[in-house]
Amino acid sequence: SFRRDKDDEDEGTNTVYQNLEKTAVLQETRTFNETPVNPRKCTQILTKILYLINQGEQLVPREATECFFAMTKLFQSKDVVLRRMVYLGIKELSSIAEDVIIVTSSLTKDMTGKEDLYRAAAIRALCSITDHTMLQAVERYMKQCIVDKNPAVSCAALVSSLRLANTAGDVVKRWANEAQEALTSENIMVQYHALGLLYHIRKTDRLAVSKLVNRLTRQALKSPYAVCMLIRIACKVVEEEDHSKGEVSDSPMCAFIEACLRHKSEMVIYEAAHAIVNMKNMNGRILAPAFSILQLFCSAPKHTLRFAAVRTLNKVAMTHPAAVTTCNLDLEGLITDSNRSIATLAITTLLKTGAESSVER
Amino acid sequence: IMEPTLLLIKGMCIMDNDGNRILAKYYDKNILPTVKEQKTFEKNLFNKTHRSDNEIIMLDGLTCVYKSNVDLFFYVLGSTMENELILLSVLNCLYDSISLILKKNVEKKAVLDNLEIVMLAFDEICDGGIILDADPSSVVKRVDLRNDDLPLGDQTVAQVLQSAREQFKWSILK
Repeated sequence: SFRRDKDDEDEGTNTVYQNLEKTAVLQETRTFNETPVNPRKCTQILTKILYLINQGEQLVPREATECFFAMTKLFQSKDVVLRRMVYLGIKELSSIAEDVIIVTSSLTKDMTGKEDLYRAAAIRALCSITDHTMLQAVERYMKQCIVDKNPAVSCAALVSSLRLANTAGDVVKRWANEAQEALTSENIMVQYHALGLLYHIRKTDRLAVSKLVNRLTRQALKSPYAVCMLIRIACKVVEEEDHSKGEVSDSPMCAFIEACLRHKSEMVIYEAAHAIVNMKNMNGRILAPAFSILQLFCSAPKHTLRFAAVRTLNKVAMTHPAAVTTCNLDLEGLITDSNRSIATLAITTLLKTGAESSVER
Repeated sequence: IMEPTLLLIKGMCIMDNDGNRILAKYYDKNILPTVKEQKTFEKNLFNKTHRSDNEIIMLDGLTCVYKSNVDLFFYVLGSTMENELILLSVLNCLYDSISLILKKNVEKKAVLDNLEIVMLAFDEICDGGIILDADPSSVVKRVDLRNDDLPLGDQTVAQVLQSAREQFKWSILK
């Protein structure tokens, strides 16, 4: 009937992404050569290509290279969405296409230009095509961007630096001062990324890491993500320290982790509790509050909190059987949890603590 | 003890209500390296999660947090050692960003109609496994750059008629 046909048609016209044919879509990139550029049309073609790749379609180097070169024509357009899609395309194709360095100057121009929306994303695209030899040329800009006032620009530069550190560690090491400055940022993500980069640069130097942690534990970091990271670094430092000097729990780093149990962010509280119960040689004074928090999480309405708590208790059931046994009643409540992962973890934990009586119940 | 690193996110994915991938990104080359393995994992993940609202599951050595709405499923994946609350914060950012982009109309058709913006949002939330931003409003500010004032040439006949009708109505009411 007419009505039915119309419904079918509606379903069919819903999306241009159904039944896409790789060769047909690649043909469409010819449109990129037209002047003036039609931003709407070109954005859609580019989206189709990225969608196909995301669905698992493989491009051979020749196809990717042709597509990449066609895409470079789109730099003529000033349309923001199209430009951002070109950056995505560059990142996606840079590992398959050849001669991708051809876009270096366009990206460098965007990265140093006035438009903040371009700058942050251009940095990330640029660093995906930059190799060791070209890094020297953009080093000055990278350093400036790390300390840029715009948080998105700073984050993009920090995250990209961390990526580059794998292939050009010696160059990135020279950006430590800038990362240090970014660490004082008010923006929580900038602070987090700066700490990540700084730690990466210094991680082979035990003394430098120790100094960094000592300094940061005394100044309250604003970013909960950064605090979680700092807790992990502190744990590592404590584990590696010479234990003959005395009780671990007395170190200022442990005092910092313990203080994090009273943080306002749930993720930090949990990170701290998790760290404490997993650390070797912790004394009961610090262990007790950490276990109370896990116990509290066991009866939280949020699935993720209960899961996190029981997963942690499950892991430490061997090292702290007595402490976990005090949580047995809470764990028993989780045996029938609607979430199967939680129920399974609760059961295996109880089996480890050997509470046969509770299994009976 | 976990090695302190910014590389926390193993993957992010949006599926439709048949368990088909709409968008998926995997950030760790050692985990699900081939598309075939990824899709098998996704099917498995979907089968285990699509009928429940349990928010979190452990599957094939990964912790997956998830959320669904109408005909869409959102997933964020991390190592089983990872702080689950951090993963959840990323999931919430992904979901809320897309909800803002789609003006609360979170369904498959709307995602596909705005796929380029959704792709940009993915890219702004996670860069190669590093959480780039977890604040939906700042993510949306950086990706939703669509210009609503269409030039006349790009408007459809229906849109032109609609606006003519509006103008007519107002001129009568005056």
